[in-house]
Amino acid sequence: MRILTVLFALGFTAVALRAEALKINGSTTVNLPVAEAAEDLRAEKEMEIQVDTQGGSSGGISSAGEGRVQIGMISKPLADEDKAKYPDANLTATQIGEDAVAIVVSPDVWESGVHAISKEQAQGIYESRIKNWKELGGEDRRIVFFNKEPGRGTWEVFANWAYGDHKKAPPASFPEVGGNEETRNKVSSTRGAMSQLSSSWADGSQVYALAIKEGDEIIEATPANIAGHKYAMSRPLNLVTRGEPGGQAKVFVDYMLSEPGQKLMVKHGYLSMAMLKADAEPAP
Amino acid sequence: MIRAQVAAGGAGQVAARPRFSAIACLSWACTLLAVACLFGMLALFAWQSVPIWEKEGLSYLAGKQWFYRNEIFGMLPMVYGSLAVAAIALVLAAPVGLGAAVGISEYLPNSLRLGAKVGIELLAGVPSVVYGLLGILFLRNWLYEGLDYFEPLSGDMLLTGGILLAVMVLPTIVTLGDDALRAVPFVHRQAARGLGLTRGETILHVALPQARGGLIAAVLLGLGRAMGETIAVFLVIGRQDNQWPERLWSLQPVIEAGQTLTTKLGGSEINIAYGTTLHWAAMVGLGLVLMLVVGLLTWLGAWLSRRKEPDAA
Repeated sequence: MRILTVLFALGFTAVALRAEALKINGSTTVNLPVAEAAEDLRAEKEMEIQVDTQGGSSGGISSAGEGRVQIGMISKPLADEDKAKYPDANLTATQIGEDAVAIVVSPDVWESGVHAISKEQAQGIYESRIKNWKELGGEDRRIVFFNKEPGRGTWEVFANWAYGDHKKAPPASFPEVGGNEETRNKVSSTRGAMSQLSSSWADGSQVYALAIKEGDEIIEATPANIAGHKYAMSRPLNLVTRGEPGGQAKVFVDYMLSEPGQKLMVKHGYLSMAMLKADAEPAP
Repeated sequence: MIRAQVAAGGAGQVAARPRFSAIACLSWACTLLAVACLFGMLALFAWQSVPIWEKEGLSYLAGKQWFYRNEIFGMLPMVYGSLAVAAIALVLAAPVGLGAAVGISEYLPNSLRLGAKVGIELLAGVPSVVYGLLGILFLRNWLYEGLDYFEPLSGDMLLTGGILLAVMVLPTIVTLGDDALRAVPFVHRQAARGLGLTRGETILHVALPQARGGLIAAVLLGLGRAMGETIAVFLVIGRQDNQWPERLWSLQPVIEAGQTLTTKLGGSEINIAYGTTLHWAAMVGLGLVLMLVVGLLTWLGAWLSRRKEPDAA
Protein backbone atom coordinates (compact mmCIF):
# COMPACT_ATOMS: atom_id res chain seq x y z
CA MET A 1 0.00 0.00 0.00
CA ARG A 2 2.73 2.43 1.01
CA ILE A 3 4.83 1.51 -2.02
CA LEU A 4 1.80 2.14 -4.17
CA THR A 5 1.31 5.57 -2.64
CA VAL A 6 4.95 6.41 -3.27
CA LEU A 7 4.67 5.25 -6.87
CA PHE A 8 1.54 7.33 -7.40
CA ALA A 9 3.22 10.34 -5.82
CA LEU A 10 6.25 9.89 -8.09
CA GLY A 11 3.97 9.64 -11.07
CA PHE A 12 2.15 12.83 -10.20
CA THR A 13 5.41 14.69 -9.55
CA ALA A 14 6.71 13.59 -12.92
CA VAL A 15 3.56 14.89 -14.57
CA ALA A 16 3.72 18.13 -12.62
CA LEU A 17 7.37 18.68 -13.53
CA ARG A 18 6.77 18.03 -17.17
CA ALA A 19 3.67 20.11 -17.56
CA GLU A 20 4.44 23.74 -18.10
CA ALA A 21 1.01 24.33 -19.55
CA LEU A 22 -1.33 26.69 -17.78
CA LYS A 23 -4.34 24.62 -16.76
CA ILE A 24 -7.77 26.14 -16.27
CA ASN A 25 -10.98 24.34 -15.26
CA GLY A 26 -14.50 25.09 -14.09
CA SER A 27 -17.76 26.81 -15.03
CA THR A 28 -19.11 26.50 -18.58
CA THR A 29 -20.37 30.08 -18.26
CA VAL A 30 -16.93 31.56 -17.66
CA ASN A 31 -15.42 29.13 -20.16
CA LEU A 32 -16.59 31.01 -23.29
CA PRO A 33 -14.53 34.21 -22.95
CA VAL A 34 -11.70 32.36 -21.20
CA ALA A 35 -11.34 29.82 -23.99
CA GLU A 36 -11.21 32.59 -26.54
CA ALA A 37 -8.66 34.52 -24.49
CA ALA A 38 -6.60 31.34 -24.27
CA GLU A 39 -6.58 31.18 -28.06
CA ASP A 40 -5.40 34.79 -28.26
CA LEU A 41 -2.60 34.16 -25.77
CA ARG A 42 -1.53 31.00 -27.53
CA ALA A 43 -1.14 32.97 -30.73
CA GLU A 44 0.36 36.13 -29.25
CA LYS A 45 2.60 34.83 -26.48
CA GLU A 46 2.90 31.17 -27.49
CA MET A 47 1.62 30.14 -24.10
CA GLU A 48 0.48 26.59 -23.63
CA ILE A 49 -2.99 26.68 -22.10
CA GLN A 50 -5.52 23.92 -21.44
CA VAL A 51 -9.09 24.91 -20.66
CA ASP A 52 -11.56 22.35 -19.35
CA THR A 53 -15.08 22.39 -17.90
CA GLN A 54 -15.16 19.38 -15.59
CA GLY A 55 -17.77 19.68 -12.84
CA GLY A 56 -18.73 23.34 -13.31
CA SER A 57 -17.97 25.88 -10.59
CA SER A 58 -17.48 23.33 -7.82
CA GLY A 59 -15.13 21.49 -10.17
CA GLY A 60 -13.25 24.76 -10.64
CA ILE A 61 -12.95 25.27 -6.89
CA SER A 62 -11.88 21.71 -6.14
CA SER A 63 -9.34 21.50 -8.96
CA ALA A 64 -7.81 24.84 -7.98
CA GLY A 65 -8.00 23.94 -4.29
CA GLU A 66 -6.19 20.66 -4.84
CA GLY A 67 -3.65 22.32 -7.11
CA ARG A 68 -4.59 20.32 -10.20
CA VAL A 69 -5.05 23.55 -12.14
CA GLN A 70 -3.64 27.03 -11.68
CA ILE A 71 -6.92 28.83 -12.35
CA GLY A 72 -10.47 27.76 -11.46
CA MET A 73 -13.42 29.38 -13.23
CA ILE A 74 -16.51 29.99 -11.08
CA SER A 75 -19.79 31.66 -11.96
CA LYS A 76 -20.72 32.61 -8.40
CA PRO A 77 -19.16 34.42 -5.46
CA LEU A 78 -16.32 32.53 -3.75
CA ALA A 79 -17.96 31.58 -0.45
CA ASP A 80 -16.27 31.16 2.91
CA GLU A 81 -17.26 27.50 2.95
CA ASP A 82 -15.46 27.01 -0.37
CA LYS A 83 -12.28 28.47 1.10
CA ALA A 84 -12.70 26.45 4.30
CA LYS A 85 -12.60 23.22 2.31
CA TYR A 86 -9.05 23.96 1.20
CA PRO A 87 -7.49 25.77 4.14
CA ASP A 88 -3.95 25.45 2.77
CA ALA A 89 -4.77 26.75 -0.68
CA ASN A 90 -5.61 30.34 0.31
CA LEU A 91 -8.10 30.52 -2.57
CA THR A 92 -8.43 34.02 -3.98
CA ALA A 93 -11.06 35.23 -6.42
CA THR A 94 -10.51 37.85 -9.10
CA GLN A 95 -13.72 39.13 -10.65
CA ILE A 96 -13.56 39.52 -14.42
CA GLY A 97 -17.18 40.35 -15.17
CA GLU A 98 -20.81 40.01 -14.16
CA ASP A 99 -23.66 37.84 -15.35
CA ALA A 100 -27.07 36.77 -14.15
CA VAL A 101 -28.93 33.51 -13.74
CA ALA A 102 -32.18 33.41 -15.66
CA ILE A 103 -35.09 31.06 -15.31
CA VAL A 104 -35.58 29.91 -18.86
CA VAL A 105 -38.53 28.17 -20.51
CA SER A 106 -39.12 26.39 -23.78
CA PRO A 107 -40.67 28.33 -26.71
CA ASP A 108 -44.15 26.77 -26.26
CA VAL A 109 -44.34 28.01 -22.66
CA TRP A 110 -43.26 31.49 -23.69
CA GLU A 111 -45.79 31.59 -26.51
CA SER A 112 -48.57 30.48 -24.19
CA GLY A 113 -48.09 33.75 -22.31
CA VAL A 114 -45.83 32.93 -19.34
CA HIS A 115 -43.30 35.78 -19.28
CA ALA A 116 -42.53 36.25 -15.59
CA ILE A 117 -42.20 34.25 -12.40
CA SER A 118 -42.24 35.21 -8.73
CA LYS A 119 -40.02 33.80 -6.01
CA GLU A 120 -43.02 32.02 -4.43
CA GLN A 121 -43.89 30.39 -7.75
CA ALA A 122 -40.29 29.26 -8.22
CA GLN A 123 -40.36 27.73 -4.74
CA GLY A 124 -43.66 26.03 -5.54
CA ILE A 125 -42.19 24.42 -8.64
CA TYR A 126 -39.01 23.43 -6.83
CA GLU A 127 -41.08 21.77 -4.10
CA SER A 128 -43.37 20.06 -6.65
CA ARG A 129 -46.44 21.90 -5.33
CA ILE A 130 -46.93 23.66 -8.66
CA LYS A 131 -46.92 21.15 -11.48
CA ASN A 132 -48.86 22.82 -14.27
CA TRP A 133 -48.19 25.96 -16.31
CA LYS A 134 -51.89 26.84 -15.84
CA GLU A 135 -51.00 28.11 -12.38
CA LEU A 136 -48.59 30.63 -13.89
CA GLY A 137 -51.13 31.83 -16.43
CA GLY A 138 -50.07 29.56 -19.26
CA GLU A 139 -51.66 26.64 -21.05
CA ASP A 140 -52.74 23.42 -19.38
CA ARG A 141 -49.39 21.63 -19.64
CA ARG A 142 -47.12 19.76 -17.25
CA ILE A 143 -44.09 21.62 -15.97
CA VAL A 144 -40.95 19.71 -16.87
CA PHE A 145 -38.34 21.13 -14.52
CA PHE A 146 -34.71 20.36 -15.30
CA ASN A 147 -32.76 21.17 -12.16
CA LYS A 148 -29.19 22.38 -12.54
CA GLU A 149 -26.91 19.96 -10.71
CA PRO A 150 -26.12 21.06 -7.19
CA GLY A 151 -22.46 22.04 -7.33
CA ARG A 152 -23.04 24.24 -10.35
CA GLY A 153 -22.64 27.97 -9.79
CA THR A 154 -25.98 28.56 -11.51
CA TRP A 155 -27.79 26.25 -9.09
CA GLU A 156 -26.22 27.90 -6.06
CA VAL A 157 -27.17 31.41 -7.21
CA PHE A 158 -30.73 30.23 -7.90
CA ALA A 159 -31.06 28.47 -4.54
CA ASN A 160 -29.62 31.46 -2.68
CA TRP A 161 -32.28 33.61 -4.29
CA ALA A 162 -35.21 31.24 -3.78
CA TYR A 163 -34.40 30.18 -0.22
CA GLY A 164 -32.09 32.87 1.12
CA ASP A 165 -29.32 30.29 1.51
CA HIS A 166 -28.67 27.37 -0.81
CA LYS A 167 -28.21 25.11 2.20
CA LYS A 168 -31.84 25.74 3.12
CA ALA A 169 -33.14 24.52 -0.24
CA PRO A 170 -35.35 21.50 0.38
CA PRO A 171 -34.29 18.11 -0.95
CA ALA A 172 -35.63 17.61 -4.45
CA SER A 173 -35.28 14.98 -7.14
CA PHE A 174 -35.64 16.22 -10.70
CA PRO A 175 -33.94 15.28 -13.93
CA GLU A 176 -30.66 17.16 -13.70
CA VAL A 177 -28.69 19.10 -16.26
CA GLY A 178 -25.06 20.15 -16.15
CA GLY A 179 -23.37 22.53 -18.57
CA ASN A 180 -25.04 25.43 -20.37
CA GLU A 181 -25.11 23.70 -23.77
CA GLU A 182 -26.86 20.69 -22.30
CA THR A 183 -29.37 22.84 -20.45
CA ARG A 184 -30.30 24.94 -23.46
CA ASN A 185 -30.56 21.91 -25.73
CA LYS A 186 -32.81 19.98 -23.37
CA VAL A 187 -35.10 22.89 -22.48
CA SER A 188 -35.57 23.92 -26.10
CA SER A 189 -36.40 20.39 -27.23
CA THR A 190 -38.90 19.58 -24.47
CA ARG A 191 -42.45 20.91 -24.30
CA GLY A 192 -43.30 22.62 -21.02
CA ALA A 193 -39.66 22.74 -19.95
CA MET A 194 -38.00 25.08 -17.49
CA SER A 195 -34.51 25.35 -16.01
CA GLN A 196 -31.92 27.71 -14.57
CA LEU A 197 -29.43 29.07 -17.08
CA SER A 198 -26.91 31.87 -17.53
CA SER A 199 -28.99 34.79 -18.84
CA SER A 200 -26.58 35.42 -21.71
CA TRP A 201 -27.42 31.95 -23.01
CA ALA A 202 -31.14 32.75 -23.11
CA ASP A 203 -31.19 33.64 -26.77
CA GLY A 204 -34.91 34.31 -27.18
CA SER A 205 -35.30 31.73 -29.95
CA GLN A 206 -34.33 28.35 -28.50
CA VAL A 207 -35.06 29.29 -24.90
CA TYR A 208 -36.64 32.37 -23.31
CA ALA A 209 -35.72 34.09 -20.04
CA LEU A 210 -38.58 34.80 -17.64
CA ALA A 211 -38.59 38.12 -15.84
CA ILE A 212 -38.74 38.12 -12.06
CA LYS A 213 -41.97 39.33 -10.48
CA GLU A 214 -41.49 41.24 -7.22
CA GLY A 215 -44.89 42.39 -6.03
CA ASP A 216 -46.29 44.38 -8.96
CA GLU A 217 -42.89 45.04 -10.43
CA ILE A 218 -41.53 43.00 -13.32
CA ILE A 219 -37.73 42.98 -13.42
CA GLU A 220 -35.92 41.76 -16.50
CA ALA A 221 -32.29 40.70 -16.64
CA THR A 222 -31.17 43.79 -18.57
CA PRO A 223 -27.55 44.96 -18.29
CA ALA A 224 -28.61 47.93 -16.16
CA ASN A 225 -30.66 45.75 -13.80
CA ILE A 226 -27.83 43.23 -13.50
CA ALA A 227 -25.15 45.86 -12.88
CA GLY A 228 -27.27 47.60 -10.26
CA HIS A 229 -28.18 44.24 -8.68
CA LYS A 230 -31.83 45.15 -9.08
CA TYR A 231 -32.20 41.81 -10.82
CA ALA A 232 -31.86 39.52 -7.83
CA MET A 233 -29.90 36.68 -9.42
CA SER A 234 -26.93 38.75 -10.59
CA ARG A 235 -23.62 37.06 -10.01
CA PRO A 236 -19.92 37.76 -10.40
CA LEU A 237 -17.80 35.73 -12.81
CA ASN A 238 -14.55 34.90 -11.05
CA LEU A 239 -11.15 33.40 -11.69
CA VAL A 240 -9.90 31.56 -8.61
CA THR A 241 -6.21 31.10 -7.86
CA ARG A 242 -4.15 29.80 -4.95
CA GLY A 243 -3.17 33.06 -3.35
CA GLU A 244 -2.77 36.14 -5.52
CA PRO A 245 -2.27 35.12 -9.15
CA GLY A 246 1.40 34.72 -10.07
CA GLY A 247 3.49 33.57 -13.03
CA GLN A 248 1.52 32.39 -16.05
CA ALA A 249 -1.72 32.62 -14.10
CA LYS A 250 -1.06 36.32 -13.53
CA VAL A 251 -0.41 36.85 -17.23
CA PHE A 252 -3.76 35.24 -17.96
CA VAL A 253 -5.77 37.06 -15.29
CA ASP A 254 -4.23 40.38 -16.36
CA TYR A 255 -5.20 39.64 -19.95
CA MET A 256 -8.81 38.98 -18.92
CA LEU A 257 -8.87 42.33 -17.10
CA SER A 258 -7.21 44.20 -19.98
CA GLU A 259 -9.21 45.81 -22.78
CA PRO A 260 -9.18 42.88 -25.24
CA GLY A 261 -10.13 40.48 -22.41
CA GLN A 262 -12.98 42.68 -21.24
CA LYS A 263 -14.21 42.98 -24.84
CA LEU A 264 -14.51 39.20 -24.89
CA MET A 265 -16.78 39.34 -21.83
CA VAL A 266 -19.11 41.74 -23.62
CA LYS A 267 -18.95 39.72 -26.83
CA HIS A 268 -20.31 36.69 -24.97
CA GLY A 269 -23.14 38.64 -23.41
CA TYR A 270 -21.65 39.36 -20.00
CA LEU A 271 -21.00 42.68 -18.30
CA SER A 272 -17.44 44.02 -18.29
CA MET A 273 -15.99 45.45 -15.09
CA ALA A 274 -16.30 48.99 -16.50
CA MET A 275 -20.01 48.49 -17.28
CA LEU A 276 -20.50 47.10 -13.80
CA LYS A 277 -18.92 50.14 -12.14
CA ALA A 278 -20.57 52.69 -14.41
CA ASP A 279 -24.08 51.32 -13.98
CA ALA A 280 -23.82 50.21 -10.40
CA GLU A 281 -25.94 52.09 -7.97
CA PRO A 282 -24.89 52.09 -4.36
CA ALA A 283 -25.99 48.81 -2.86
CA PRO A 284 -29.04 49.17 -0.60
CA MET B 1 30.52 -18.45 -17.23
CA ILE B 2 28.49 -20.38 -19.76
CA ARG B 3 30.20 -23.54 -18.69
CA ALA B 4 29.32 -22.82 -15.10
CA GLN B 5 25.67 -22.42 -16.01
CA VAL B 6 25.64 -25.60 -17.98
CA ALA B 7 27.15 -27.36 -15.07
CA ALA B 8 24.60 -25.89 -12.72
CA GLY B 9 21.78 -26.76 -15.09
CA GLY B 10 22.40 -30.45 -14.77
CA ALA B 11 23.66 -33.03 -17.17
CA GLY B 12 20.53 -33.62 -19.24
CA GLN B 13 20.02 -30.07 -20.49
CA VAL B 14 21.86 -28.67 -23.44
CA ALA B 15 22.02 -25.05 -22.31
CA ALA B 16 20.41 -24.03 -19.09
CA ARG B 17 19.15 -20.47 -18.89
CA PRO B 18 20.23 -18.12 -16.17
CA ARG B 19 17.77 -18.24 -13.33
CA PHE B 20 17.21 -14.50 -13.06
CA SER B 21 17.26 -12.81 -16.41
CA ALA B 22 16.56 -9.11 -16.60
CA ILE B 23 13.54 -9.70 -18.80
CA ALA B 24 12.02 -12.16 -16.39
CA CYS B 25 12.54 -9.78 -13.47
CA LEU B 26 11.05 -6.88 -15.38
CA SER B 27 8.02 -8.78 -16.53
CA TRP B 28 7.43 -10.09 -13.02
CA ALA B 29 7.67 -6.58 -11.70
CA CYS B 30 5.17 -5.35 -14.27
CA THR B 31 2.79 -8.18 -13.54
CA LEU B 32 2.99 -7.53 -9.83
CA LEU B 33 2.46 -3.82 -10.36
CA ALA B 34 -0.64 -4.44 -12.47
CA VAL B 35 -2.09 -6.79 -9.87
CA ALA B 36 -1.10 -4.43 -7.06
CA CYS B 37 -2.92 -1.60 -8.85
CA LEU B 38 -6.14 -3.59 -8.88
CA PHE B 39 -5.95 -4.65 -5.26
CA GLY B 40 -4.58 -1.28 -4.22
CA MET B 41 -7.59 0.42 -5.77
CA LEU B 42 -10.02 -1.99 -4.16
CA ALA B 43 -8.32 -1.54 -0.80
CA LEU B 44 -8.27 2.25 -1.17
CA PHE B 45 -11.95 2.37 -2.09
CA ALA B 46 -12.88 0.00 0.72
CA TRP B 47 -10.85 1.99 3.22
CA GLN B 48 -12.22 5.38 2.11
CA SER B 49 -15.80 4.16 2.24
CA VAL B 50 -15.58 2.70 5.76
CA PRO B 51 -17.52 5.58 7.42
CA ILE B 52 -20.63 4.99 5.31
CA TRP B 53 -20.67 1.24 5.94
CA GLU B 54 -20.29 1.94 9.64
CA LYS B 55 -23.12 4.46 9.76
CA GLU B 56 -25.64 3.04 7.30
CA GLY B 57 -24.66 -0.60 7.13
CA LEU B 58 -26.90 -2.59 4.87
CA SER B 59 -29.35 0.27 4.39
CA TYR B 60 -26.62 1.92 2.31
CA LEU B 61 -27.10 -0.92 -0.18
CA ALA B 62 -30.84 -1.35 0.25
CA GLY B 63 -31.95 2.24 0.96
CA LYS B 64 -34.21 3.84 -1.63
CA GLN B 65 -33.44 7.46 -0.83
CA TRP B 66 -30.39 9.64 -1.43
CA PHE B 67 -30.50 13.17 -0.01
CA TYR B 68 -26.92 14.10 0.72
CA ARG B 69 -27.74 17.30 2.57
CA ASN B 70 -29.86 15.31 5.05
CA GLU B 71 -27.15 12.64 5.16
CA ILE B 72 -29.48 10.00 3.77
CA PHE B 73 -27.57 7.66 1.50
CA GLY B 74 -29.28 4.72 -0.16
CA MET B 75 -28.02 3.43 -3.48
CA LEU B 76 -30.78 1.04 -4.52
CA PRO B 77 -32.36 3.33 -7.16
CA MET B 78 -28.95 3.74 -8.79
CA VAL B 79 -28.32 0.00 -8.77
CA TYR B 80 -31.76 -0.40 -10.33
CA GLY B 81 -30.92 2.25 -12.93
CA SER B 82 -27.63 0.54 -13.82
CA LEU B 83 -29.26 -2.87 -14.11
CA ALA B 84 -32.27 -1.58 -16.05
CA VAL B 85 -30.17 0.30 -18.57
CA ALA B 86 -27.79 -2.64 -19.01
CA ALA B 87 -30.71 -5.04 -19.37
CA ILE B 88 -32.32 -2.91 -22.09
CA ALA B 89 -28.97 -2.73 -23.86
CA LEU B 90 -28.53 -6.51 -23.75
CA VAL B 91 -32.08 -7.34 -24.81
CA LEU B 92 -31.44 -5.25 -27.92
CA ALA B 93 -27.77 -5.97 -28.55
CA ALA B 94 -27.47 -9.67 -27.69
CA PRO B 95 -29.73 -11.07 -30.45
CA VAL B 96 -28.39 -8.65 -33.03
CA GLY B 97 -24.80 -9.16 -31.92
CA LEU B 98 -24.94 -12.94 -31.79
CA GLY B 99 -26.83 -13.02 -35.09
CA ALA B 100 -24.13 -10.88 -36.67
CA ALA B 101 -21.45 -13.13 -35.16
CA VAL B 102 -23.07 -16.20 -36.75
CA GLY B 103 -23.38 -14.41 -40.07
CA ILE B 104 -19.78 -13.24 -40.05
CA SER B 105 -18.25 -16.47 -38.86
CA GLU B 106 -20.40 -19.02 -40.70
CA TYR B 107 -21.62 -17.42 -43.89
CA LEU B 108 -19.19 -14.75 -45.03
CA PRO B 109 -16.21 -15.75 -47.14
CA ASN B 110 -12.91 -15.08 -45.40
CA SER B 111 -12.04 -11.92 -47.32
CA LEU B 112 -15.36 -10.25 -46.52
CA ARG B 113 -15.34 -11.59 -42.98
CA LEU B 114 -12.28 -9.57 -42.01
CA GLY B 115 -13.70 -6.43 -43.59
CA ALA B 116 -17.01 -6.79 -41.76
CA LYS B 117 -15.26 -7.49 -38.49
CA VAL B 118 -12.96 -4.51 -38.77
CA GLY B 119 -15.96 -2.33 -39.60
CA ILE B 120 -17.83 -3.45 -36.53
CA GLU B 121 -14.76 -3.13 -34.34
CA LEU B 122 -14.34 0.44 -35.52
CA LEU B 123 -17.63 1.12 -33.74
CA ALA B 124 -15.84 0.21 -30.53
CA GLY B 125 -13.19 2.84 -31.19
CA VAL B 126 -15.64 5.76 -31.33
CA PRO B 127 -15.19 7.77 -28.11
CA SER B 128 -18.19 7.48 -25.83
CA VAL B 129 -18.72 11.23 -25.65
CA VAL B 130 -19.45 11.12 -29.40
CA TYR B 131 -22.15 8.55 -28.76
CA GLY B 132 -23.46 10.82 -26.03
CA LEU B 133 -23.66 13.79 -28.37
CA LEU B 134 -25.39 11.72 -31.04
CA GLY B 135 -27.80 10.62 -28.33
CA ILE B 136 -28.51 14.17 -27.25
CA LEU B 137 -28.84 15.48 -30.80
CA PHE B 138 -30.95 12.72 -32.32
CA LEU B 139 -31.94 9.73 -30.21
CA ARG B 140 -33.37 11.77 -27.33
CA ASN B 141 -35.62 13.74 -29.64
CA TRP B 142 -36.67 10.77 -31.77
CA LEU B 143 -37.78 8.84 -28.72
CA TYR B 144 -39.46 11.89 -27.18
CA GLU B 145 -41.54 12.45 -30.32
CA GLY B 146 -41.94 8.77 -31.19
CA LEU B 147 -43.25 7.75 -27.77
CA ASP B 148 -45.54 10.77 -27.54
CA TYR B 149 -48.51 8.44 -27.01
CA PHE B 150 -47.05 7.29 -23.69
CA GLU B 151 -46.43 10.91 -22.64
CA PRO B 152 -42.82 10.76 -21.49
CA LEU B 153 -41.87 13.85 -19.49
CA SER B 154 -38.86 14.49 -21.73
CA GLY B 155 -36.37 12.64 -23.92
CA ASP B 156 -34.31 11.76 -20.85
CA MET B 157 -35.28 8.16 -20.18
CA LEU B 158 -33.74 4.89 -19.09
CA LEU B 159 -34.78 3.64 -22.52
CA THR B 160 -32.68 6.30 -24.29
CA GLY B 161 -29.64 5.30 -22.27
CA GLY B 162 -30.33 1.61 -22.93
CA ILE B 163 -30.61 2.01 -26.69
CA LEU B 164 -27.46 4.10 -26.83
CA LEU B 165 -25.61 1.46 -24.80
CA ALA B 166 -26.90 -1.28 -27.08
CA VAL B 167 -25.05 0.31 -29.99
CA MET B 168 -21.96 0.70 -27.84
CA VAL B 169 -21.77 -2.91 -26.62
CA LEU B 170 -22.61 -4.37 -30.03
CA PRO B 171 -18.96 -4.57 -31.20
CA THR B 172 -17.92 -6.40 -28.02
CA ILE B 173 -20.61 -9.03 -28.50
CA VAL B 174 -20.06 -9.45 -32.24
CA THR B 175 -16.31 -9.75 -32.15
CA LEU B 176 -16.14 -12.05 -29.11
CA GLY B 177 -19.04 -14.12 -30.45
CA ASP B 178 -17.26 -14.52 -33.75
CA ASP B 179 -14.09 -15.61 -31.96
CA ALA B 180 -16.05 -18.18 -29.98
CA LEU B 181 -17.64 -19.64 -33.09
CA ARG B 182 -14.32 -19.70 -34.95
CA ALA B 183 -12.81 -21.67 -32.08
CA VAL B 184 -15.08 -24.61 -32.90
CA PRO B 185 -12.89 -26.93 -35.03
CA PHE B 186 -13.74 -26.85 -38.71
CA VAL B 187 -13.66 -30.65 -38.96
CA HIS B 188 -16.70 -30.86 -36.71
CA ARG B 189 -18.66 -28.87 -39.24
CA GLN B 190 -17.31 -31.01 -42.07
CA ALA B 191 -18.35 -34.13 -40.22
CA ALA B 192 -21.84 -32.75 -39.67
CA ARG B 193 -22.19 -31.81 -43.33
CA GLY B 194 -20.90 -35.26 -44.25
CA LEU B 195 -23.69 -36.77 -42.19
CA GLY B 196 -26.18 -34.88 -44.31
CA LEU B 197 -26.99 -31.92 -42.09
CA THR B 198 -27.74 -28.68 -43.88
CA ARG B 199 -25.64 -25.62 -43.23
CA GLY B 200 -28.29 -24.17 -40.93
CA GLU B 201 -28.58 -27.42 -38.99
CA THR B 202 -24.81 -27.58 -38.63
CA ILE B 203 -24.76 -24.12 -37.09
CA LEU B 204 -27.72 -24.86 -34.84
CA HIS B 205 -26.65 -28.31 -33.63
CA VAL B 206 -22.85 -28.28 -33.89
CA ALA B 207 -21.31 -24.81 -33.90
CA LEU B 208 -23.63 -23.01 -31.49
CA PRO B 209 -23.74 -25.69 -28.75
CA GLN B 210 -19.97 -26.02 -28.76
CA ALA B 211 -19.43 -22.28 -28.67
CA ARG B 212 -22.04 -21.79 -25.97
CA GLY B 213 -19.57 -20.86 -23.21
CA GLY B 214 -17.82 -18.33 -25.39
CA LEU B 215 -21.08 -16.82 -26.56
CA ILE B 216 -22.32 -16.38 -23.00
CA ALA B 217 -18.97 -14.83 -22.17
CA ALA B 218 -19.38 -12.39 -25.06
CA VAL B 219 -22.72 -11.28 -23.71
CA LEU B 220 -21.42 -11.02 -20.15
CA LEU B 221 -18.44 -8.93 -21.19
CA GLY B 222 -20.86 -6.73 -23.12
CA LEU B 223 -22.91 -6.43 -19.94
CA GLY B 224 -19.80 -5.41 -18.02
CA ARG B 225 -19.09 -2.71 -20.58
CA ALA B 226 -22.68 -1.50 -20.37
CA MET B 227 -22.56 -1.29 -16.58
CA GLY B 228 -19.32 0.67 -16.61
CA GLU B 229 -20.10 3.16 -19.36
CA THR B 230 -20.49 6.72 -18.11
CA ILE B 231 -20.42 9.74 -20.38
CA ALA B 232 -22.80 8.63 -23.11
CA VAL B 233 -25.42 7.51 -20.59
CA PHE B 234 -24.78 10.61 -18.50
CA LEU B 235 -26.00 12.87 -21.28
CA VAL B 236 -29.29 11.13 -22.03
CA ILE B 237 -30.53 9.47 -18.85
CA GLY B 238 -31.65 12.57 -16.96
CA ARG B 239 -29.65 11.86 -13.77
CA GLN B 240 -32.77 11.98 -11.60
CA ASP B 241 -32.22 10.65 -8.09
CA ASN B 242 -34.58 8.48 -6.07
CA GLN B 243 -36.35 6.91 -9.01
CA TRP B 244 -37.40 3.68 -7.39
CA PRO B 245 -40.27 2.14 -9.37
CA GLU B 246 -43.48 1.53 -7.46
CA ARG B 247 -44.08 -1.64 -9.41
CA LEU B 248 -40.80 -3.33 -10.16
CA TRP B 249 -41.86 -5.06 -13.35
CA SER B 250 -43.89 -2.26 -14.84
CA LEU B 251 -42.49 -0.71 -18.00
CA GLN B 252 -43.37 2.83 -16.93
CA PRO B 253 -39.95 3.55 -15.31
CA VAL B 254 -38.29 2.77 -18.62
CA ILE B 255 -39.67 5.96 -20.14
CA GLU B 256 -38.77 8.03 -17.10
CA ALA B 257 -35.50 9.67 -16.17
CA GLY B 258 -33.18 7.86 -13.79
CA GLN B 259 -29.70 7.62 -12.39
CA THR B 260 -27.05 4.92 -12.61
CA LEU B 261 -24.03 4.31 -10.40
CA THR B 262 -21.75 5.70 -13.08
CA THR B 263 -23.77 8.83 -13.88
CA LYS B 264 -23.91 9.68 -10.17
CA LEU B 265 -20.14 9.40 -9.97
CA GLY B 266 -19.69 11.37 -13.18
CA GLY B 267 -21.73 14.34 -11.97
CA SER B 268 -20.80 17.43 -10.04
CA GLU B 269 -21.76 15.98 -6.67
CA ILE B 270 -18.33 14.43 -6.19
CA ASN B 271 -16.92 17.96 -5.87
CA ILE B 272 -19.39 18.82 -3.12
CA ALA B 273 -18.67 15.56 -1.36
CA TYR B 274 -14.96 16.28 -1.16
CA GLY B 275 -14.00 17.25 2.37
CA THR B 276 -17.19 15.88 3.95
CA THR B 277 -16.29 12.53 5.48
CA LEU B 278 -19.62 10.75 5.25
CA HIS B 279 -20.70 12.12 1.87
CA TRP B 280 -17.29 11.36 0.39
CA ALA B 281 -17.42 7.84 1.81
CA ALA B 282 -20.86 7.37 0.28
CA MET B 283 -19.62 8.43 -3.17
CA VAL B 284 -16.51 6.25 -2.96
CA GLY B 285 -18.70 3.35 -1.82
CA LEU B 286 -20.66 3.66 -5.07
CA GLY B 287 -17.37 3.26 -6.91
CA LEU B 288 -16.52 0.20 -4.86
CA VAL B 289 -19.86 -1.48 -5.57
CA LEU B 290 -19.57 -0.64 -9.26
CA MET B 291 -16.05 -2.06 -9.43
CA LEU B 292 -17.10 -5.25 -7.70
CA VAL B 293 -20.13 -5.78 -9.94
CA VAL B 294 -18.27 -5.10 -13.18
CA GLY B 295 -15.31 -7.13 -11.95
CA LEU B 296 -17.55 -10.06 -11.15
CA LEU B 297 -19.19 -9.94 -14.58
CA THR B 298 -15.84 -9.73 -16.35
CA TRP B 299 -14.43 -12.58 -14.31
CA LEU B 300 -17.50 -14.70 -14.99
CA GLY B 301 -17.20 -13.93 -18.69
CA ALA B 302 -13.52 -14.81 -18.78
CA TRP B 303 -14.13 -18.00 -16.82
CA LEU B 304 -16.93 -19.13 -19.10
CA SER B 305 -14.97 -18.45 -22.25
CA ARG B 306 -11.98 -20.42 -20.99
CA ARG B 307 -13.90 -23.30 -19.52
CA LYS B 308 -13.47 -26.56 -21.38
CA GLU B 309 -16.71 -27.47 -23.07
CA PRO B 310 -17.84 -31.03 -22.54
CA ASP B 311 -17.67 -32.86 -25.85
CA ALA B 312 -20.90 -32.51 -27.75
CA ALA B 313 -22.67 -35.85 -27.74
